[in-house]
Amino acid sequence: MRRLVAIALALCSTSAIAATDPRTVPTRLSSEWQAKTRELFKQAIEIPSVHNRGETHRVAELLAGQFRTAGIPDSDIHIMPYEALPGDNTVALIVRWRSPHATKKPMLILGHMDVVEAKRSDWKYDPFVFREEGGYFYGRGTSDMKNGDVATTMAAVKLISEGFKPDRDIIFFYSGDEETRGVGATLGSTKWRNLTDAEFGLNADGGCPSYDEQFRPLGCGISMAEKTFQTYFFTTHNPGGHSSRPRPDNAIYDLADALKKVQAYRFQPMQNEVTRAYFAERAKQEGNSQLGQEIRAWLANPNDGKAADAIEANPLEVGFTRTRCVATMLQAGHADNALPQSATATVNCRIFPGVQPTDVQAELQKLVGPNVEVKPDPNYIGVPTPASPLRPDVLAAVTSAVHKVVDPRMDIYPEMSTGASDGSFFRAQGIPVYDIDGSWGISPIDERAHGLDERIPVRAMYDDVLYWEMIIRSLAG
Amino acid sequence: MRHLLASAALIALVSTAGSAAGPKLTSAQRDATHAMFEHIIDIPTVIGRHNVPEEAQYVADQFKAGGFPAEDIHVLPYHTESATTGADETAALIVRWRAAGPTSKKPILLMGHMDVVEAKVEDSTTDPFKMVERDGYYYGRGTIDMKDGITAITQAMINLKAAGFRPKRDIVVLFTGDEETNGIGARKGATEWLDLLGHPEYGLNADGGGCGLNVDGSLAGCGMQTAEKTFAGYTFTVRNRGGHSSKPRKDNAIYSLAHALDKLEAYRFTPKLNETTRAYFTAKAAMDKTALGDAERKWLAHPNDGEAADFIEASESEVGLTRTRCVPTRLFGGHADNALPQLATAMINCRIFPGEDPNAVKAELETLVNDPTVVVTRNDDYVASLASPLRPDVTAAFTVAVHALHPGMPIFPEMSTGASDARPFRVAGIPIYGTNGAWVQVPTDFRAHGKDERIPVQSLYDNVVHWQLMLKDLAGK
Repeated sequence: MRRLVAIALALCSTSAIAATDPRTVPTRLSSEWQAKTRELFKQAIEIPSVHNRGETHRVAELLAGQFRTAGIPDSDIHIMPYEALPGDNTVALIVRWRSPHATKKPMLILGHMDVVEAKRSDWKYDPFVFREEGGYFYGRGTSDMKNGDVATTMAAVKLISEGFKPDRDIIFFYSGDEETRGVGATLGSTKWRNLTDAEFGLNADGGCPSYDEQFRPLGCGISMAEKTFQTYFFTTHNPGGHSSRPRPDNAIYDLADALKKVQAYRFQPMQNEVTRAYFAERAKQEGNSQLGQEIRAWLANPNDGKAADAIEANPLEVGFTRTRCVATMLQAGHADNALPQSATATVNCRIFPGVQPTDVQAELQKLVGPNVEVKPDPNYIGVPTPASPLRPDVLAAVTSAVHKVVDPRMDIYPEMSTGASDGSFFRAQGIPVYDIDGSWGISPIDERAHGLDERIPVRAMYDDVLYWEMIIRSLAG
Repeated sequence: MRHLLASAALIALVSTAGSAAGPKLTSAQRDATHAMFEHIIDIPTVIGRHNVPEEAQYVADQFKAGGFPAEDIHVLPYHTESATTGADETAALIVRWRAAGPTSKKPILLMGHMDVVEAKVEDSTTDPFKMVERDGYYYGRGTIDMKDGITAITQAMINLKAAGFRPKRDIVVLFTGDEETNGIGARKGATEWLDLLGHPEYGLNADGGGCGLNVDGSLAGCGMQTAEKTFAGYTFTVRNRGGHSSKPRKDNAIYSLAHALDKLEAYRFTPKLNETTRAYFTAKAAMDKTALGDAERKWLAHPNDGEAADFIEASESEVGLTRTRCVPTRLFGGHADNALPQLATAMINCRIFPGEDPNAVKAELETLVNDPTVVVTRNDDYVASLASPLRPDVTAAFTVAVHALHPGMPIFPEMSTGASDARPFRVAGIPIYGTNGAWVQVPTDFRAHGKDERIPVQSLYDNVVHWQLMLKDLAGK
């Protein structure tokens, strides 16, 4: 699940220098490694590793083949089959790159190989045909997150080929159901712990640097805490009947009323250590702008709900001030000429850390009233997870790599992720996880994870290989 | 689709000495009627089971055995199919009883359908395709919708012929094989088979009309169906860029759809009266001393009195009779629980007042929704159904036949809110009247399409007499 860029409009507006389009800056990855990266990326994108399609194992085999060819022995490459959603047979890939003389506990690099559904009819081009156009690579998974799979794998292959020997074991863990149930990460952090145990984890799910549309750097947020993911089903029932004789009550109308209430509702604003640090940084960047003033007002007085509402309404800060819930799916009725006997909406919530999903359920139930049934998705019950402590070595490694590979002007700061990722399962089991991928995009036009015509700038893909090479050298070298 | 008297139980009525006071069948005629009815009830003429041709052949054989020449009996196989109902090889039956001498009058068409709605053994008290007689009823799928009418028309013609009746104009029978699903037989009847039918002047449909007796034995009334609303489907479609559900956008396809549905819920089309509904409400108002009767009198006196019309429309017994009605029947939206919806659709089922253009209704829906992001499209190409003018000769024949069996029975012209085989003929300029004479107890016997469908034993035989009386009157002069 791709974490989205939040921070914005960083630089002081007095700068008179015309900004350079970062997409036009040449990558420093050699053409030989560009070709290898492009080929692996193409093959990965063209495997439709959507849940229930039984294709994810092909991504695992593709990545495993890269490690094998680079010289990792078969005994350290594990393709682990498991069942995710009922009937969805998928796999995880676990690869251990051993240190000849380990001096530190292992380091874990996390990713996922599955992608969200993409319908051919919704997209301009086939989402599972890899395309390069106008400085972008297009296709489902180009930003969430086959880019991270390819960058981490390719960085390892490149380092091995250059004779680099890590001073700690590096474990690569790629799950097969991050977008649906997270069973892989659950197993990876528990049952398969003998293969994955590590001092800390680095998650390649979601690039941290970004630019605005004027090409000003927006900084790079390292996610150390995350909201709890919980889906609820809202269901209305009705006796139904023949559609030629409409009843005064109708399951679809009742559901529509409930959804309008959800649309208008705002949860109580909240702060924690990570978001306070984040907003303190944002206030500095924003200076005296309207948003900057609102953030300062809210930090000074956490009970200033008006300021919090203004911040939440800013497209750059959506989801950072509180729990958010949104309707994502609808299903109702059984025949075109029959009144609906039931109507169901899927409402997806991202719950502020520390708040229990059962409390959110009660709040939603109160909001929509007793005639609408509100139930959590039985396939996934969210568990709140603790924030990871900020490690100076990780911060230093990310800062150095972002400044060298992407842009020396990028600020690095802590962040709370509004999405849930595989990291949460490891955090819950005592392994701190930092979301630090180095790929970047233009905000908001490149924020297309889970959406239409998903893409990544070509340079961002290539640079991410260099970025991970630097991260590994600095944290395991 | 069987239309049953809707106005029934609400009307205070004179009590009667009992039904079926008039002419009766001989015991040989009863036996023949019983045998034919049982035989065809036991043939499951449900779409996809390929049984209609067998039934058509059986009914054709009855006509042949009754002395109708083979060259005037046509079993016409045809294919029926649609995306939602499935497919079948079905058949229609056309029988022409030629006038005894030269005539300038065009034929009278007698209509019915041989197919039935699905019925499952596990949902029924006894096997719905094995006719049983119990408690004064015949039970089985099709007993009132509408193998009673198929049997009555066939037996009435056979009996009249045996009795030496010589029609003064042609009588032509069309029994279709897919009224409950796709109505292709009726469309063929109104187009490519029209020559075979001799371009009838008007039609009498056994799939409409019918009489009701209240539980206390009092007379509820008989309906003569002269108009039907136009069935038309529409889709509301909302598209959105979508995105990640952790970052809700201000615009959301599901919320836009919910607002459109909210407007539809509150909306009422302009009330309308036509010849049929005016006569219907006049007859009803004359007998109804309640607030509903007051509203009917007010509306008839002042057709622009929207408040009176709204009061009538809100009555459970009159839903759909005062205007066009549209209701949402199905919803679809979204593609993943963790993605903002890119697409949300609602299926809107409309029953349009006779004569109104479905394209005009589309324009009215667009104006109502008043949101450029909500696109309104039509799901079919049905054209406006028309009301058939009230013919004094048909009304008189129906009245005389009804009163012969049920003295004092009130008679109402009716507009059906459902759709039937009559539509393509009305559209082609051939008026159709629903004039079946079977009676049931209301509302306990309203079981068309439902569980344990049944007809009173005596009603089956009375209906044969009813059609004999009608045909002698209308084709004997």
